[in-house]
Order: sequence, then C-alpha cells, then structure tokens
Amino acid sequence: MFAMENPEMILAEGVEAMEFAELSEKYHISGVPDTIINDAAGRVVGAVPEINLLAEIQRAMNK
Amino acid sequence: MEKLLPPDIIKQIREVFAQVKNPVALLFFSSKKNCDYCAEIQQLLEELTQLSDLLHLSIHDIDAEADLAALYKVTGKAPALVIAAQEGDQITDFGIRYLGIPSGHEFTTLIQDIILVSGRDSGLSAQTRQYLKSLTKPLHLQVYVTPT
Repeated sequence: MFAMENPEMILAEGVEAMEFAELSEKYHISGVPDTIINDAAGRVVGAVPEINLLAEIQRAMNK
Repeated sequence: MEKLLPPDIIKQIREVFAQVKNPVALLFFSSKKNCDYCAEIQQLLEELTQLSDLLHLSIHDIDAEADLAALYKVTGKAPALVIAAQEGDQITDFGIRYLGIPSGHEFTTLIQDIILVSGRDSGLSAQTRQYLKSLTKPLHLQVYVTPT
C-alpha cells in the first residue's frame, strides 16, 4: 500500500516465492513475508509495524 | 470448466465486496511460455471479478503486448497482476502488483488489496505518507510470500 502514495516513484510487488524461485534464491528468501527494498539495499524479515518498515526504507534510500 | 470457487466462498466474497467503493481495474499478464498456472489464475480472476460490478478484468499476453507490459513494468514477470484504479475508461496505476499464483493466504491479500485500491486510500500514517510523497528517487519494494 506504500506505492499508492507516490506511484510515479514507488513500485510495490507481492512476489510468490515458489513461482519466482530464481528471485527467491537471489535474495536467499527462507521465511515469509520478507520485504526486499531496492535490490536488497534494505530488508525487513517478517511482518513488522508500518513505522519499522518506514525506518528501513529511509535507511535504504539514504545509502 | 468446473468452478474454482465453491459456493460458500463465493457467498463470503460477495459480502466482503460490499466494501468495494470505486471501480478497480485488474490487468492480468499471462504468458504462453513457462506459465503452468496462467490458465487457472485467469479462471480464478474471471470468477472473482464476476462477483462485483465495480471490478474490471482485462487479460493480456506479456509477449504479444510487450509495450503494455513494459508500461506496467511487468516484462518477464508472468503471471503478473496489476491492481489499479479505474475512472470511466481511465486506468490510474498505483504501482501495486502481484506476481505469481494468488492462492491460499494470498487470495485473501488480493481481496484486501482490491478493497484498499477501491477506497483510493492507503490507510497509512501521516508521517509515512509525507515521506513517501517526498521521494524523488525510485523505491522498489518486493514482498516475498508463499501461498500457505
């Protein structure tokens, strides 16, 4: 739902890990949900509160 | 063809779809190559979108309609579903995609996504909204999930 706020800049994909096995292997997905930010510049494992996801996005975007 | 959605599930979905506020466009990109479940997903989406007058499904071939696939950034990502807003003939992309088979728990997520997009509101906090709106560089989020 993050993408809705700025679709010009944000792309949000739900990825079914088994169908896209190559991508899952690339990012070493072992548990779900696992959120990969900008090609692993950031990452959040598990379901976390919105504020934690926001913090990780900010960290990844400032790299 | 036999229905994928059983009658009791159809009844539940109809009840939940009472919350659909505005038209939603579902663009399904299938492929004739390496997509074992594309036919089933298409059938599932056809059955699902029949349950609300506000849902509009269109079916596209990711290879034959390469320009459209590129526009929606789903090139090489079949089976891909774009969940977008629709006003008349106009589709507004919210950047929301689901890649793969929306079964099990992910079927519930799909229905929730449809309702959120129909409300045109992310439901996020003011702080998050402000930050996301201020972005000037691309942000790509991929949430990996499994059906169970």
